[in-house]
Amino acid sequence: MVTDANLPAAAPKPPGDAAVRVVNVFKKYGPVKAVDGISFEVARGEVFGLLGPNGAGKTTTVEMLEGLRAPDSGLLEVLGIDVARNPDELKQRVGVTLQTAELYPKLKVVEVLDLFRSFYKRSLPTEQLIDFLDLGERRHAQTRQLSGGQRQRLAVALALVNDPEMIFLDEPTTGLDPAARRSLWDLIQKLQGQGKTILLTTHYMEEAEVLCDRLAILDHGRILALGSVDELVNKRFKDRSVRFDQIAALEDEQLIVLPGVKSIKHDDGVTVLYTHDVAGTIGGLLDATEVLGVEPANLGIRRPTLEDLFLDLTGRALRD
Amino acid sequence: MQALIQLSIANIRSFVRDRAALFWTFAFPLIFVVLFGLIFQGGNTSIKLGWVDLDGTSGPSGSTTLQSAFAAVKGVVITAEDEASAKDQMKTGKLDAIVEVPKGYSAAVTAAGTGATGVAAANVTVFVDPTQATTGGIVQQVVAGVLGAVNLGGRPPIVQAQLATIQTQNLNIISYLVPSILGMALMQLGVFAAIPLVADRQKMILKRLNATPLHRWQLVGSNVVMRLIIGIIQTLIIVAVGTALFGLQMTGSLLLLAGLVVLGGLAFISLGYVIASFAPTEDAANSMTSVVQFPLMFLSGTFFVIDQMPQPLQVVARFLPLTYLSDALRQVMVNGTAFSPLWFCFAVLVGWTAVCFGISARFFKWQ
Repeated sequence: MVTDANLPAAAPKPPGDAAVRVVNVFKKYGPVKAVDGISFEVARGEVFGLLGPNGAGKTTTVEMLEGLRAPDSGLLEVLGIDVARNPDELKQRVGVTLQTAELYPKLKVVEVLDLFRSFYKRSLPTEQLIDFLDLGERRHAQTRQLSGGQRQRLAVALALVNDPEMIFLDEPTTGLDPAARRSLWDLIQKLQGQGKTILLTTHYMEEAEVLCDRLAILDHGRILALGSVDELVNKRFKDRSVRFDQIAALEDEQLIVLPGVKSIKHDDGVTVLYTHDVAGTIGGLLDATEVLGVEPANLGIRRPTLEDLFLDLTGRALRD
Repeated sequence: MQALIQLSIANIRSFVRDRAALFWTFAFPLIFVVLFGLIFQGGNTSIKLGWVDLDGTSGPSGSTTLQSAFAAVKGVVITAEDEASAKDQMKTGKLDAIVEVPKGYSAAVTAAGTGATGVAAANVTVFVDPTQATTGGIVQQVVAGVLGAVNLGGRPPIVQAQLATIQTQNLNIISYLVPSILGMALMQLGVFAAIPLVADRQKMILKRLNATPLHRWQLVGSNVVMRLIIGIIQTLIIVAVGTALFGLQMTGSLLLLAGLVVLGGLAFISLGYVIASFAPTEDAANSMTSVVQFPLMFLSGTFFVIDQMPQPLQVVARFLPLTYLSDALRQVMVNGTAFSPLWFCFAVLVGWTAVCFGISARFFKWQ
């Protein structure tokens, strides 16, 4: 198991400089430990990801930071504000999207935006929000008539109404088609370009790899690993993976003795060989298959991913 | 404040764009008013006129001549009665109006007919029920028509009609029903507050709002404001239709009526919040509102007079807040009762509101 201790400590920062500080937070729902003692910091201007399967404690963590749930114990600080002590000030300064983006189905896009603007002391002009989120054509549509992607963009627009320094996005792309997902990724990168701090949760490895500067991998309410994507993946896997469609006649005993191979996994009809000698492994593999009179299909080499990391950390694949 | 106003506007917009809500709030009570109005007033095309002749004279200036003149009017059915039985029959609704010809009528007509100065016209007295505006209006038209013919346009007139009033006993069914239906409509408006609230919680709208600086009192306040505004509009529509189509006569204080509408609205909105506190889903909230609204509708004297219900049901009715709201509405709207005799109705509604808001403050879950 990789834990915090195995990773190099981040450079120490002066207190109060972090956008988010979580220290030793616990939260139980009845007997279930939803969050089981987590600590992490998010630097200002950073995109930080909480990655994990459903039920890992991501949403509970985010909702505690948003002031929607109280922790059983531990300290939560956002933008230097103690969440437990000063929730009103916190809510003026952060933006939030929840997992479900359904909002006032019978109100029009501009009406919902104007409504939310009235909640804050400071707000951006509605037109600027509509332009930024590319909702111009749908401004007079009722929200129930929006597509999933448009609805999510409206949810992000509502999170931006008060021009917040800190934005929490809970599974922002779940349920979106690939094009809508890409456009939301662009948007998040644009927001980072404006200097906003973003904390997002996701169970998509690819999303975390594309968007996040750093991330924490959660499972069963605990942080399994914390660091930058490169740090996490390269520390854990200096190896590369060689993968091909599973060949029934090829026994694991034959594969493990191929040059460079350290371990083998079979996943959904694909065989994965982790190796420190890609050339040697592939050469050996081709020799072995030639003897059997077959050719490995879809043969490929891959740099290890978060997917591999998660599989390795938890023994379980990360799926929707 | 800005947030409260904007949220109230948002609630009203959502409400107005919801056709089902519009139907139940505005069309449903009106259908009741129109339906009952037609059932109890339609088919009653002829005016039943009681004829009390205390003079009993014949000849051109005699009282029987006047009686024939009335009998000749189309749509008027005349029955000759003695004074006491005529008044009894009018009180129980068997007669719509009474014309009483006083003793000495014939002599007075003859005297007036000479045209001598200083001689007063002969009088007849017409009894009508002021709450039966439509019928009363027709009767007055008939009387004016007949006397006009008798007087032949002569000036000064030979015969004059004096109007007198008799209060009939609760028999103006529309005067009874319109306040009842208004009470029912306010009850539904309030109780139905549960459904959108539970739906908003289920869709996480409440949670999303909770992540903004909006305070909970603003959220609850905007809901109450919106429903009270709708309640007042409902009242205006129901009273207007009752008055225009069925001769409802509003006699009471408008301020008292407005107070009752607001207080009744609050009492049932708070009941709606109690439902929302215990309904986990929108569907559950839907069935719970039905379970609550039907006994209220049928046992609170909305359609049936409570005194005529079986004893056990009368006991139940005494515990229902709608009983008191409808009763107070009837008293204020139809009888013009002032506040002081109604303090108990107001007290029941205030107490009910306080208890229900207390329960919902304790048990309502925001997420």
